[in-house]
Amino acid sequence: MKVLVVNNMAPFVWGGAEELAMHLQSNLIISGHQAEILRIPFQWEPSRRIPSQMLMVRALEVANVDHVIALKFPAYLLRHPRKTLWLLHQYRQAYDLFDAGQTNLPTGSAGHELQSVIRHGDLQAFSESAKIYTNSEVTRKRLRKYNGFDSEVLLPPVNDPQLFPGGIAGDYIFAGGRVNGLKRQYLLLEALALADQRVRLLIAGPPDSPEDALRLQELVERLDLVDRVKLDLRFLPRAVYASYLNQCAAVAYLPYDEDSLGYVAMEAATAAKALITTADSGGILGLVKHQETGWVAQVNPEDLAMAMNAVYTCSEQTSCYGQSARILWESMNINWPETINSLLQ
Amino acid sequence: MKIALCSSYVPFIKGGARNIVEWLELMLQEQGHHVERIYLPQVDTPDLLFQQMFALRWIDLSMADRIICFRPQAHLIPHSHKILWFIHHIRSFYDLWHTPYRGFQDDYKISGFRDALHHVDDVGLREAKSIFTNSRVVAERLKTYNRIESEVLYPPILHPERFHSAGFNDEIVCICRLEHHKRQHLLIEALRSTKTPVNLSLFGVSSSSEYLHSLVDLISELGLASRVRLDNQWISEEEKVSRLSSCLAAAYLPVNEDSYGYPCLEASHSAKPILTTTDSGGVLELVDDGVNGYVVEPTPLALADAMDRLYLDRARTVAMGTQASEKISAMRISWPHVMQRLLQ
Repeated sequence: MKVLVVNNMAPFVWGGAEELAMHLQSNLIISGHQAEILRIPFQWEPSRRIPSQMLMVRALEVANVDHVIALKFPAYLLRHPRKTLWLLHQYRQAYDLFDAGQTNLPTGSAGHELQSVIRHGDLQAFSESAKIYTNSEVTRKRLRKYNGFDSEVLLPPVNDPQLFPGGIAGDYIFAGGRVNGLKRQYLLLEALALADQRVRLLIAGPPDSPEDALRLQELVERLDLVDRVKLDLRFLPRAVYASYLNQCAAVAYLPYDEDSLGYVAMEAATAAKALITTADSGGILGLVKHQETGWVAQVNPEDLAMAMNAVYTCSEQTSCYGQSARILWESMNINWPETINSLLQ
Repeated sequence: MKIALCSSYVPFIKGGARNIVEWLELMLQEQGHHVERIYLPQVDTPDLLFQQMFALRWIDLSMADRIICFRPQAHLIPHSHKILWFIHHIRSFYDLWHTPYRGFQDDYKISGFRDALHHVDDVGLREAKSIFTNSRVVAERLKTYNRIESEVLYPPILHPERFHSAGFNDEIVCICRLEHHKRQHLLIEALRSTKTPVNLSLFGVSSSSEYLHSLVDLISELGLASRVRLDNQWISEEEKVSRLSSCLAAAYLPVNEDSYGYPCLEASHSAKPILTTTDSGGVLELVDDGVNGYVVEPTPLALADAMDRLYLDRARTVAMGTQASEKISAMRISWPHVMQRLLQ
């Protein structure tokens, strides 16, 4: 079958969704299909241009394709008689982030109009899809709550599980993934200042902006943490990322209300590493069970510092949590062949 | 520099229009540029054309330092620093309008579409900072139909240094799709009239089994099985390099093609002369008769005569091969030149 994977493109920015689309493509090919990725440029700033970009997607004509798998707004507006959504997220700034006051849509009636345009477009896209999968329970509930559509959760597999066999626990807690305000690496630094002297932290990943990097660097200086923190702020080669993870004592990942299990958490569980997260981290809580697979801390430096200390207090227990994380992850049976079967149903 | 390469495409159809984009992408990345490739689907049905052109106008690539546009209608994408490497028009509405290839009625509606399309193209093309084309033929069309000047920038092949000469055997090779308009049948027919024991090897895949079968039948009908090798597959790049390095000459005789065709470049980089015909279009921008190959009438007898000359006059064959390689430099078909022009 000729399968077109349809995704957005924020030009010159590469992230988790791009990786997912790429691995979906290669695994479709492994399953004996022809597969290509269509990446449609989308800029959400300025927000007044969102409607024309929705129209842009709607106006495109696709021929010579048997099945479309669409991942994101507005790419999923593409017209095709056999379209399956694997929804990573809606345009959240017109939904939950709008309600939370964290939106780029203007205030007042202009903002409400834009919101309504986006919601109507979504309604149409969801109605015409043969089947809707969501990438997490959070996304499923959000779709149900805001758009009234039922969907089935299809968690994305780890792209390259063979890279994460785990290894002997080192002396540091590893915080990987993108660096920005919503991922709250700064909170880990504030916690570290309150934690035992033996606690070490490695923060590694690409900062969204130079300011995100600067903020962490300044905090390390100000809190006098230079000897206990390593910052490796860049897009890491996959092998470097894997070795940081395989050799750590535990993994800390505390995004604000994440939609999905999160690759960082799934990869940590694959490598049998215990996890530290926070009570408001959303999908991550699917893998972090307090004092079973890791620690769920309250969102404050004091509570986080206690979790960090616990990693070092009893290393057998930490290793045990890591093993439980791996068992929990494997019990979810999330792999590519099953995923592709579902998507092409 | 942040560079967006923009082109239209039909999903799952591969070909030269993708090569020019994807090879340039690799070369720019090697130079340390940050490149994003943007392929947007396009269906050339007249009734759907204009809505798709609107879509192109709504694309926001302002974060790129410059964009380079290839296959139509990508040249309509707005950008303050737009460069075109224009490879063809939507030809049904241009040079194919007065031919059977147009494919639709010349009625009031369609001719209205045509006029509107010409107008849109006139404007979109003029937004560009510079316009390059892939051949003189396409440059001429831009001048004729849109009254716009352009510079010919010949597309090189990827890693041309792979190709080399390792001597001359008795075999003329033809490595391209097996299609009626590429005229492999003419080469087979010619072989019947040769006076020398020159051989022929045809490599490529066919989109229709009909043409493939007709070639197989022709070979057996003419009793040429011992002198013609027909291999219905894409040979590996390594085998291609090796075949060309040892062959006597390369044949490429498409019917009136826009550009010289990558097979001619591969032969030239292998220092092998090219056998082509007077009606092969863009190929004649590259091949001069008696200099870097033979350009003959598209008849079996004329081709047979040229094949014999290639076989018998080895000194000249070798000299023409050397000339073929030099012609590439003279026409400045190289990635350094391409990048210097596109990034000036």
